[in-house]
Amino acid sequence: MHILAKANLIEAIERLVKEFKVLVPMQYDGVSRFSVWGSHGMQAFNASNTLLPPKDSLFPRTETLYAYQVANQEITGVTVRDQAEHQIIFGIRPCDMQSIHCLDDVFLTKGYADSYYHSKREKLLTVCIGCTKSEPTCFCESMGINPAGHSGADIQMNDLGSGYRVVAQSQSGQEIVEKWKDLLSQGQEEVVAASCTLKVDMNGVPEMLATLFEHSLWQEVSRKCIGCGTCTYLCPTCHCFDMDIQNQGNQGTRFRCWDSCMFSDYSRMAGGHDPRPSKSERLRNRFLHKLQFFSERYGKSLCVGCGRCLIKCPVHVDITLLIDQVRKEAAHV
Amino acid sequence: MNAIQIKMREVAGQLLSLGEVDRVIGWEKGRFAHQSPPAFITDETKVERLIWDEYCLTGTAKYLLDDPYRAGKTGLFARGCDARAINRLIQDGQVKRENIVIIGICCTGMSDSVSRQMAAKCCDCTHPTPVVYDLMIGEPVKPVAKPERFKAVAELEQKAAQEKSEYWTRQFAKCIRCYACRNICPACNCRECFADQYRVGWLGKQHHTAENQVFGLTRAYHIADRCIECGECARVCPVGIPLMELNRKLIKDIQQLFGDYHAGVDSETAPPLGRYSLDDMEEFM
Ligand code: SF4
Ligand code: SF4
Ligand code: SF4
Ligand code: SF4
Repeated sequence: MHILAKANLIEAIERLVKEFKVLVPMQYDGVSRFSVWGSHGMQAFNASNTLLPPKDSLFPRTETLYAYQVANQEITGVTVRDQAEHQIIFGIRPCDMQSIHCLDDVFLTKGYADSYYHSKREKLLTVCIGCTKSEPTCFCESMGINPAGHSGADIQMNDLGSGYRVVAQSQSGQEIVEKWKDLLSQGQEEVVAASCTLKVDMNGVPEMLATLFEHSLWQEVSRKCIGCGTCTYLCPTCHCFDMDIQNQGNQGTRFRCWDSCMFSDYSRMAGGHDPRPSKSERLRNRFLHKLQFFSERYGKSLCVGCGRCLIKCPVHVDITLLIDQVRKEAAHV
Repeated sequence: MNAIQIKMREVAGQLLSLGEVDRVIGWEKGRFAHQSPPAFITDETKVERLIWDEYCLTGTAKYLLDDPYRAGKTGLFARGCDARAINRLIQDGQVKRENIVIIGICCTGMSDSVSRQMAAKCCDCTHPTPVVYDLMIGEPVKPVAKPERFKAVAELEQKAAQEKSEYWTRQFAKCIRCYACRNICPACNCRECFADQYRVGWLGKQHHTAENQVFGLTRAYHIADRCIECGECARVCPVGIPLMELNRKLIKDIQQLFGDYHAGVDSETAPPLGRYSLDDMEEFM
């Protein structure tokens, strides 16, 4: 197997920066996220997943779609802003790698390809680092993900202690590995993978949820929810957005930006009707989307077990407790 | 089991079984040891869920706004901060005192769920004993002044304008616009927040530093004389923006301009920016 000594890691990354915008896990000002190589902060290759998910590299928080000018109440020029750079997410964890697969399903399949997402996705390379330790809140294994790695990454690396095992898993991954040729050594070492201590039983959960739409558990679970956007904005797979315009004099832009189904105004329609008027409907929608609707439509869970919402929900609404409760309630239906 | 918890369950059981309230709001255990989220109990046989430990961090009072026209009475467990929050809501005309039975708890402070040290909001607490209650659990203590809670503000005030601006720009660059700070805040009780009035145009929906700052600073100003210093906003902020430094700057200025005022300590004294007086300072005119 190819082994990249940790002492060579920086050089390996430096070789990519000419061609790519390299995003690495960084800790800055108390927040860990994927930042451009060389920006402020401390590299966090050894920590488990970052607090902020990597989704904004494909689906930015705010993205200008097009710009326009207006003269005499006529639109005079429309410029589409679809800028995609060659990017590498270096050090993505298996749960987040799976989240990109979920986003791919949403933005690229079923006959509707989102061009803005598509152009970024085409130019994205992923280097996944398998987890050697799990956080108490990690439950990716229960969601069918292997903490050791993800087959969807272009390159799979595994921490062996003094170096990383490197495996190219795609043509583009192979090309990168070629660039590292003189940095790699050969060896045989055992790959150690983390095992999650938090476990849930997902077997049959989508089917169970289909019978619990009107159940009182949603009222109960949602009472403490404060309807903030923490869980959705930290979730690597949540992808709700809104579109709006920003005008300045005789020119303007149309942008899209993240939105959250947990916000009280999210589902309010023109005229005032709201099909999800209270937090129990909103929370039900979020969890059903994660655990039922998405698997019905795309055959996979929209929760990848990253644990971010478990850590940061201000009032500890916990999707794993919900899954346990669903099993319990479904047994009584 | 601790004495407060025993008493809490006993009181909740009594209130529910006598029909004096039809629900109580307290705390229960979450999945992990350091999690004690709010609990809503309507059934006297379920009072065993109630707990009291060092992680009962979340405020209880704001939940009264979830269903303001609820018919029954609520038994609300209230520490010092929750009691001030109740006063806040009563004073703002959001809840009626007669609809709540306040079960005061003399609080000795909670722990931060990460550091396991005394939570920042509790280190700075001036009124650990509830300022309003119907029943009281525990041994009351006198309010403490805690002038040291303005230390960070005083230090920040020493800095040049440019430095201050850079500091807050960097902080709000982190903001993810989750609105957890607003949603947990008992002073943020407007029926419709300016931040949600996109069509009016106070605030753009874009997530970027400029709009984040408009949100954060406007919110701070809107509650300048009404913040009860519960510290919940700073606790829930997922990216750790030191929101209490902003709030305390405004509280400090208000105390300088309008005299000693502590929001929510009673429900009668009108907030300085909500009253009109002929001897108000007019330094800007
Ligand atoms: S729902 Fe929570 S645990 Fe699941 S993927 Fe989203 S943030 Fe992670
Ligand atoms: S579940 Fe938690 S994080 Fe999500 S909206 Fe509710 S309070 Fe906020
Ligand atoms: S601004 Fe913060 S400290 Fe002040 S009342 Fe609101 S949540 Fe509490
Ligand atoms: S809680 Fe923090 S991140 Fe969320 S909106 Fe408030 S300041 Fe921004």
